Amino acid sequence: MFNLTNLVQKAQQLIEPTLSIAGPTSSERDRRPSKATLFRHQFRLPESQSPLQEITAELTLSPHHTTRGTPGDVTSPEKERGQGNHYVGKLHLSEQYLCFSTQGSSFLNSASLSSSSSFTGQTHGAGPAGNGFTLPLCAIRRVERLHSQSYMFALAITTWNGLADSKSKNAVPSGQKLTVQLAGSRIQCERFCDGLKKGLREGVREVENLRAVVMQCYSEYLLSEDGDDKSHGDGGKKTREHPDTGLGMVFKYPGNARKLRDATKIRLWREYLRENGRSATLIRQPTFHKLIRVGLPNRLRGEIWELTSGAFFLRLQNPKLYTETLAKYSGRESLAIDEIEKDLNRSLPEYPGFQSEEGIGRLRRVLTAYSWTNADVGYCQAMNIVVAALLMYVRPWLTLILSNTSRYQSETQAFFLLSILCDRLLPGYYSTTMYGTLLDQRVFESLVEKTMPILWDHLVKYDVQLSVVSLPWFLSLYINSMPLIFAFRVLDVFFLEGPKVLFQIGLAILRINGEELLDATDDGTFISVLKSYFARLDESAHPKSENPKLRAVTRFQELMVVAFKEFAGITQNTISEQRAKHKDLVLANIESFAKRTSIRNLGPESKRLSVNDLSFLYDRFFATVYAREQRALIMQQEADRKAKAGKAKATEIVTGFAGSSVEQGRVGLGPSDTQMDYDGFREFLAGIAKWAVTDSPSPPPESNGTQSPHSYFGGSTRTRPPMSQWGSGPEPADHDFMKRLFRRWDTDMTDALTLQNVVTGFAQVKGTKDIMSNISYFFELYDDDGDGRVDREGILRISEALLFLSRRGLGDTASPSPSLTDLHAGSPERGNRDEQFLSSVSAFIRRCFEYADPDHPSNQGNRDVDEVKDDLDNFAIGADDEDDLIDFGSEPNTPVANSPSQSKHHTKTPLSPVTSTTNPLTPTQSNSSDKDRHLKAKEANLALDPNKPLHITLPTFRMVILADEILEQFFEIGFSASFKLADAPLPSSASSSSNLTTFSNAGKQVAANAAVGMAGVVGGAGAGVVPPGKGLRGMLDNIVSDGMRVAAEVRRRMDEAQKEMDREAKSGQGRERDEDDEEEERGEVGAKDADLLEGAETADVDTRSGSTPDLLGAPQEGTEVKTTRNRSASDASRRVLEFER
Amino acid sequence: MADSGASQPKPSSSVKLVLLGEAAVGKSSLVMRFVNNDFQENKEPTIGAAFLTQKCNLPTRTIKFEIWDTAGQERFASLAPMYYRNAQAALVVYDITKPSSLTKAQHWVAELQRQASPGIVIALVGNKYDLASPSGGDNAEDADAAPAAEGENPEEEDSADARRVPTKTAKAYADEESLLFFETSAKTGMNVAEVFTAIANAIPETSLKGPRGVGGQTNLNRQEDARVNLTGGRAEGPKEGCAC
Ligand SMILES: Nc1nc2c(ncn2[C@@H]2O[C@H](COP(=O)(O)OP(=O)(O)O)[C@@H](O)[C@H]2O)c(=O)[nH]1
Ligand SMILES: [Mg+2]
Repeated sequence: MFNLTNLVQKAQQLIEPTLSIAGPTSSERDRRPSKATLFRHQFRLPESQSPLQEITAELTLSPHHTTRGTPGDVTSPEKERGQGNHYVGKLHLSEQYLCFSTQGSSFLNSASLSSSSSFTGQTHGAGPAGNGFTLPLCAIRRVERLHSQSYMFALAITTWNGLADSKSKNAVPSGQKLTVQLAGSRIQCERFCDGLKKGLREGVREVENLRAVVMQCYSEYLLSEDGDDKSHGDGGKKTREHPDTGLGMVFKYPGNARKLRDATKIRLWREYLRENGRSATLIRQPTFHKLIRVGLPNRLRGEIWELTSGAFFLRLQNPKLYTETLAKYSGRESLAIDEIEKDLNRSLPEYPGFQSEEGIGRLRRVLTAYSWTNADVGYCQAMNIVVAALLMYVRPWLTLILSNTSRYQSETQAFFLLSILCDRLLPGYYSTTMYGTLLDQRVFESLVEKTMPILWDHLVKYDVQLSVVSLPWFLSLYINSMPLIFAFRVLDVFFLEGPKVLFQIGLAILRINGEELLDATDDGTFISVLKSYFARLDESAHPKSENPKLRAVTRFQELMVVAFKEFAGITQNTISEQRAKHKDLVLANIESFAKRTSIRNLGPESKRLSVNDLSFLYDRFFATVYAREQRALIMQQEADRKAKAGKAKATEIVTGFAGSSVEQGRVGLGPSDTQMDYDGFREFLAGIAKWAVTDSPSPPPESNGTQSPHSYFGGSTRTRPPMSQWGSGPEPADHDFMKRLFRRWDTDMTDALTLQNVVTGFAQVKGTKDIMSNISYFFELYDDDGDGRVDREGILRISEALLFLSRRGLGDTASPSPSLTDLHAGSPERGNRDEQFLSSVSAFIRRCFEYADPDHPSNQGNRDVDEVKDDLDNFAIGADDEDDLIDFGSEPNTPVANSPSQSKHHTKTPLSPVTSTTNPLTPTQSNSSDKDRHLKAKEANLALDPNKPLHITLPTFRMVILADEILEQFFEIGFSASFKLADAPLPSSASSSSNLTTFSNAGKQVAANAAVGMAGVVGGAGAGVVPPGKGLRGMLDNIVSDGMRVAAEVRRRMDEAQKEMDREAKSGQGRERDEDDEEEERGEVGAKDADLLEGAETADVDTRSGSTPDLLGAPQEGTEVKTTRNRSASDASRRVLEFER
Repeated sequence: MADSGASQPKPSSSVKLVLLGEAAVGKSSLVMRFVNNDFQENKEPTIGAAFLTQKCNLPTRTIKFEIWDTAGQERFASLAPMYYRNAQAALVVYDITKPSSLTKAQHWVAELQRQASPGIVIALVGNKYDLASPSGGDNAEDADAAPAAEGENPEEEDSADARRVPTKTAKAYADEESLLFFETSAKTGMNVAEVFTAIANAIPETSLKGPRGVGGQTNLNRQEDARVNLTGGRAEGPKEGCAC
């Protein structure tokens, strides 16, 4: 029973990640953030953490005088129960953290496996509000199970509080102790403890790391400073230097420290920290929240911001990311860097720190590093102001004792704060479309409408747009709107309680100024009312009051009270709901704007396509790209899930927090320079041209070339139907022609196409009605070196391409021409036309070879015409069967008979004039004895002799095409008509998709994983080829594949001939030598094989022998874990799990 | 226009004006010149858009411009609809030394024509005129009296000046789209006040908000009433004094 539920739970945890990335395509329900996301947000944990266990518990904090007791001193819980503070809440365990919060929160997976908001309580992942703690497991020094009544399960946790002090051997670290009573069944409790034990064991490795990070915290300095801690300890302590707490240390903090009562605040905080732990081991009690509401003291501000925002945990996880990023990209240039450079002198320029090179340098480095770690966001104006503000308070030690000494290290705090801000607290604010900013403005407006209807009506009446006024508040976190000292106080609360704070403050501003705002009838007045309000925030809110206490209340204090009392009802949940409500509209607006912009900016080439076509291409392009991205993401998740040994992920911090919580897959969300790789191009084409759909869908798709999708959907069948690399759309073909088209369109040689590339490409293919330029275009596709010639290989490739393009029939695509209909009247003829196309292609090959020029005209052989003729006969005979098949139907090759060829009687003389002997690689040709010996082979080879280079030129190619009516038609309209854009709607269901004009529609199409749309397109195309019920289709397929076989056969023979020639060229001595070579070669390979195998074996052995001891040794060495000493056999006895360093 | 405002001797009304254009074409500089008659490096960090006001005294009325100078960075373009949504006038700026900026300007014009209030008055402004060849004294006149730019001015391209967008090209486009057209220099101040005066004159009476407290109804009806046929000739109409 227990096992079963456990299993179900595990399975759900595994399934879950996909829900969070389901994106805009999935239903409303799935779009809600996953529980894991909510959990991480609630405790501000890195992306690598997931809610493994949770249990209801009571936290007991010992009274102050015992907090610094020695670790061995364990008070019995019974005795403690009476004293100290008790909090009931939920205890959560993740991979590396133990968290407790009194605020109702649950992240357990319910049976429905949905991720609804109801179960998360009111916080909705708001942030570490409520009382409790977020303890890195490595900060826990010791966990003991306490004696207790049988129904109780109590743990005493001792932390590494004051870690930095414990460096010297003798010093007793001022461990801090808390007691947690678990409330749950024995099994639940045991399970929780097992998980905890495991996590603690792993955490031991991180202790040094933790120490390094903690050492940089001001709190350590603050608490060591007061000496009483261990005044009798070692002498080394006194040398502790004052940590660098931001630019403010050097350039003064904004505001008057006296007026801000900074010293008093510091004293209060010292007291609080001493009793409740510092940095990593801090415990949140009611006083903590109060202390934050009254404003943080300057020197501690950075550290508390870091803690409450969770940036601390990111830094803990990857202390070197910042330095490494800067080092890695040093000297590199980017658009973001240019933009940053322009703004450096415009970031709080009035602050002395930013008039100095030092301050500017810090600002530059933090912004630059972030732009590299999150290239999608890069740099957005307003980030400069936010970072500038952060840098005033944020900076760890100048002289780092434990971490590396790079000077860059010092801005790490600011860097992670910025990361947290951009990626979590202000999602989408600074993205390339700024959708988060626009969305939150919409949310803000709707909240104003709800809470202040009269003001709202007034705004509507006078057409004053609130968002133009409030946008800067949100975008720069009030830093640019209020005097700095007040903006920082908003930030203090914001980092702790999350984005809702911005809304609460904004609403309060409007409420307080309501009267005056009701008089404002235009933007100007509206703005000036607020401007003067901000300028007088430090004045008394009630200057005329009799009550001196009331008089002392400043306008800012009033603002805080209104914000957090009157608008207490605005919770994170409210914001989330409103965001969900308005999201689609906001994104649709952005997208339609982006689409208009993008289409207008496509340049003059694009004018050759209709607006509808452009619109269609735009939709289709992004639909394809995003559908692919989404699929890749899902597959990646699946792969990750499989590889979930649970260890690798900790390193992936960058991708980690930019990852699953961020939705992807919409123009409105993402960066605008989207590109499509070759596979994407194939998929794109498959939805537009029916020839681009593969004949042989995978699995094992031969047409897939090097792309092996197997690895992708290896184990995915477990939870859902296997996902193809192509989604539910048709699997695209992979043909040389498509590659060539791709390369041709990829004018910037980036191995990827932009929308611009695609549009320009289509403008060339479809934008011209001129047959000559179409022919040239095709020719150029195959003129690899651009010398105006296409060689034998190219000719064969062209014919292959023609067969490829026509294999699903061209009848319907060519039919628009009335002349054609006249020629081959009636639809029953369509089959015939397709057959005729085949014979045209075969005639094409013949004619090409016939009219081809040899590469060395001077040596043109008039040598043995008869001999050549014989060869040709041989070839023709060899190819006879296929020819018959191809020549089925009419006789399109009659013109060949009239051609001015030297051949006298045979119409099948594709290679006639070419018997050059000039190739130095084939000396045997002039050697008659050799010729005798290999006559048979050469008869075949000569015809296809790859060593007799020949080529056709564009005029020849043109002539050959124009000589054939069907090919002519193909180049006139057929080819360009084979791409179905908006203006040439496909027969059946596809027409609906061609009517799409806005991307939002297409977005919804992606929503269904482009399933309906794409399936529709293909279905329509397929249905259009042959009227249902006619047996023609099957027949045609045979012919087509036969045609392909001809081409394949031709190729095979060429290859053989090539091999033959190579062999002969290698030696003048003949076949004995050949055999020797071969023999030798075979021998060699065998030897090598053996070597290889041996190598593999030893490697195998090596890895095995290398890894085994490590694995076994891990628990014994490296960590000094005295594991689970069972002091008594009884269950109720005390278990100690000690971690000592 | 002559008999308008008969009841109120010199009515004052505010006009919301938005500046659009590629980054660094000189939008902020133009506003700075117009508002402060000054030219200097922009020290104000712009978040979304900067807001400034300036009065413009016409013989018959006073126009109070409420100017939204949109931020330069490309991604802020998404926010532009917020600013032009209820604007009565727009200054679409390009840089005469940068042809791509005219393309961008044309995009903005198309966007405004499609999305903004129907009666919006749009002025196309080619800025940084001071960088064009100093030899072309007649060029200056061309730009000044916009429609006079008939000369081929082929030497414009090959002289050493930095001009890359011929007056003729932009003028032809402006005529086609019925836009006001000016070439300006925020640096020298050339034509800057003229642009705003021309816009002030071009705003139809009917679309004007009254002074504070009066405009409610007018304002709501603004979009329906505000239709004016702007012709090329209108642009160079009587130059009324502007107190700026
Ligand atoms: N020579 C010259 N430079 C100008 C003129 N107007 C602006 N600039 C310069 O162009 C740059 C960009 O100006 P700015 O007003 O910030 O452009 P915005 O991004 O459109 O607001 C600044 O360096 C200005 O000094 C002008 O009329 N002539
Ligand atoms: Mg600007």
